[in-house]
Amino acid sequence: MKRNEYDVIIVGGGITGAGTARDCAMRGLKVLLIERHDIATGATGRNHGLLHSGARYAVTDQESANECIRENRILRQIASHCVDETDGFFITLPEDDLNYQAKFVESCLAAGIDAEIVDPKEALRMEPSLNPDLIGAVRVPDGSVDPFRLCAANMVDAKLHGAQVLLYTEVTGFIKNGDRIQGVKTYNHQTHKSGEYYATITVNAAGIWGQHIADLAGVKIGMFPAKGALLIFAHRVNDIVINRCRKPANADILVPGDTVCIIGTTSTKIPFEECDGVHVTPDEVNLLIEEGAKLAPALANTRILRAYAGVRPLVSADNDPSGRNISRGIVCLDHETRDGIKGFITITGGKLMTYRLMAEMATDLVCRKLSIEKACETATTPLPGAGGKSFREVAEKIWENPTTVQKAAVTRLGTGAARIQAEDSVDQSLICECEEVSVGEINSAIERLDVSGLTDLRRRTRVGMGTCQGELCGCRAAGMLAKAHGCADRARTDLKDFMTERWKGMYPIGWGDALREAEYTQWVYKHVLGV
Amino acid sequence: MRFDTVIIGGGLAGLTAGISLQEAGRKTAIISAGQNAMHFFSGNFEDAGPARERVSALFAAAGVRMNALEGALLMPMGSFRPASLTLEDVTVFPSDEHIADKALIVNFTGFHDFFGTFLAEALEKRGTTCRIRFVRLPEMEHLRLSPSEMRSVNIARTMDEHWEKVVSDIRVLHKDEDLILLPQVFGLKDAAVLDKIRRALPARVAFIGTMPPSVPGIRTQMLLKRRFEVLGGTFLMGDEVTSAALHEGVVSSITTRNLDTVRLFADQFILATGSYFSKGIAATPTQVYEPLFGLDIDYPKDRNAWYSDDFFADQPYMDYGVKTDASLHAVKDGEPVKNLFAIGSVLGNTRKEDFGTAAGLAIRTAFAVADTIKGGNV
Repeated sequence: MKRNEYDVIIVGGGITGAGTARDCAMRGLKVLLIERHDIATGATGRNHGLLHSGARYAVTDQESANECIRENRILRQIASHCVDETDGFFITLPEDDLNYQAKFVESCLAAGIDAEIVDPKEALRMEPSLNPDLIGAVRVPDGSVDPFRLCAANMVDAKLHGAQVLLYTEVTGFIKNGDRIQGVKTYNHQTHKSGEYYATITVNAAGIWGQHIADLAGVKIGMFPAKGALLIFAHRVNDIVINRCRKPANADILVPGDTVCIIGTTSTKIPFEECDGVHVTPDEVNLLIEEGAKLAPALANTRILRAYAGVRPLVSADNDPSGRNISRGIVCLDHETRDGIKGFITITGGKLMTYRLMAEMATDLVCRKLSIEKACETATTPLPGAGGKSFREVAEKIWENPTTVQKAAVTRLGTGAARIQAEDSVDQSLICECEEVSVGEINSAIERLDVSGLTDLRRRTRVGMGTCQGELCGCRAAGMLAKAHGCADRARTDLKDFMTERWKGMYPIGWGDALREAEYTQWVYKHVLGV
Repeated sequence: MRFDTVIIGGGLAGLTAGISLQEAGRKTAIISAGQNAMHFFSGNFEDAGPARERVSALFAAAGVRMNALEGALLMPMGSFRPASLTLEDVTVFPSDEHIADKALIVNFTGFHDFFGTFLAEALEKRGTTCRIRFVRLPEMEHLRLSPSEMRSVNIARTMDEHWEKVVSDIRVLHKDEDLILLPQVFGLKDAAVLDKIRRALPARVAFIGTMPPSVPGIRTQMLLKRRFEVLGGTFLMGDEVTSAALHEGVVSSITTRNLDTVRLFADQFILATGSYFSKGIAATPTQVYEPLFGLDIDYPKDRNAWYSDDFFADQPYMDYGVKTDASLHAVKDGEPVKNLFAIGSVLGNTRKEDFGTAAGLAIRTAFAVADTIKGGNV
């Protein structure tokens, strides 16, 4: 096989693409993954980070619910370092129908989800942030999952199994021979070079942008772009996921993640052309705070860090204007049987939770087409970093007396934290004080995790994700990148882009302490540092 | 307690007004919450305009020396800004073109708030060959015990004692460079160290800014505060105003947290509480307001209009500030308050045409109000 020839090309570096690359590589295929931005830039990095138990879908969609609980159990095993086993409550408030609870529990049990009714007082004792007016609570095995870590871990493992990854490379067209797709044409946004890559099968795993990729291949897929807005609060208000026990609606999930918590979402259909530049409106912010405070009243007075929005890659089925009633189910399309185009498949729909199953389904189809008989092993093979049970155990396995900085690194990297250089106190000094990211961790990310800029670095290390939103660490990390890449010009442009990107999520919630911080940051960058 | 004038806010505006009034023999108190914009001051008095000489004299009496040189200031990330009045720490170059043939950039190992790589690249573009070298003193190692202690002020505290050791290290590192760039982490207590370093090194020395806190800013604030107190002023440190008695357009007294039930009476009050960061102005999702007196602020009701989506553009929210009449009396409910003035960044950009922005706004409005009070034209 020539250098630019592969068994399979995967288009899209979100969690579905990364998972598919890993699965294909583990089954011995020669894999190339192509992503036009960085890993996890689409819906993968723009959701709650909820490790669904499936309970949310139990009443309306048994199939999705069952997929969720199975994958939930698998991820706890194979991605323990990305998962926080928090459990979840579905609470009933006075304005909700308590009769729904019985139906809810029954549906959960039918889907194989443990659902236990808890006395409201007991629930309030277990999770003090709950709205004290609650009249019912059901406990389910929800959790939280870090989608950036999960995506990065899949990507690293795919590469360990021989896959190649091209970031910042856009698929601009397909190489066709009659009714067969033979490869892709690409354009690299960093080197500004065009390229051609060949493969027997091309997998479209581009999420909502899959509609465009399919267009390029001459295939019509009707996606239903549903924008969901979320808010990140500066404190971990709750330790247990809080949901409303009613039919899925706006802003009815509050998920704790690391040091923060996230409320969401809204659901608004948007034109496909707007998928690239979604922003959060003041009305959405107001709605999220108002509804969020019904779950946990403390949210009304908690500082907000930022607002963001993602676009769900739903496949449209009917004329539902909100997109809530479309199945979250997985859609795996064989375009040979569907459209008469050979060598091209699309894997879409689904959720972060079911990425592994989606990858398995896509890879099964790829293998069938290549006549390869090798079973999927991703459900039982731990991802890199998922070595130990608890973060503390892992940290203590690596270091005799782990420092808080090292412990923070373990929560991000699992056993991979062992690779961080920490011989010198200089390596341990902090670049990002909010998220405790050290010099050593950043150097290690620059060396092994395909970091080309600050935003890439943020997705891999949490630099700039804390309270100051990059005020201190943006410059410091830019300094390190300038040194590592030997180019201060690029690092300076990159820093500007990074701060602009951070600001996008800040001004929708620009009041109170968030505005104070923003004013300070803008003053410092402009007048003190002269950026 | 009774004063002639009570100033709320101990930053650049409040101190400048306080010293001016105290110099004129008026019994003045300053209430300071603590940190203020001096702690992130670049050392460059933008927009000082007609107040240049006057502020230089006022600062000189406080022991703060200034450069009244027109030229270019090298910013921490490698850009140049025009400068005409700067603190003595700041090196003003004749132009932003070729500033040296060869430069030695010296940083401390593990200090990430000084941007040598960026400076080097900017200077290389202007024809200066640069070398970046690091020094590491055993006396600074204690800072590394905690991973977040390598900050400018902490290093400066060590340097007050050990600057000579750094100088001897630099002398070893120095080859034939005609310019040595150092971070602004020297002379926290006493600016005389700056000259001593300049004299002890074999090339021209330029001290370049770091990430905040600003060592020159903190020292200046300390010296101005001392000057105010030497003149007999009362500086209430770490205190904040809890209530104000405002009736029929006149402020009669205020209370503070530390003084509890003791009221502060004065003929005039000056509001120098700064902008959002210093809490002189506050915002909620639906309003922008002045928290102490509820003074008038003009702003658009539509929150979308408060921001530009470009992080580096001028932000509309920074324009909003306390409304004043021509002589800087603060306006409440459409009427000027007879004995309450607003100075400095609590004004936002509402008086930009008359008094400029930033440090210039602070000193020029401070002088204007001090003159009004001294002239008895209140």
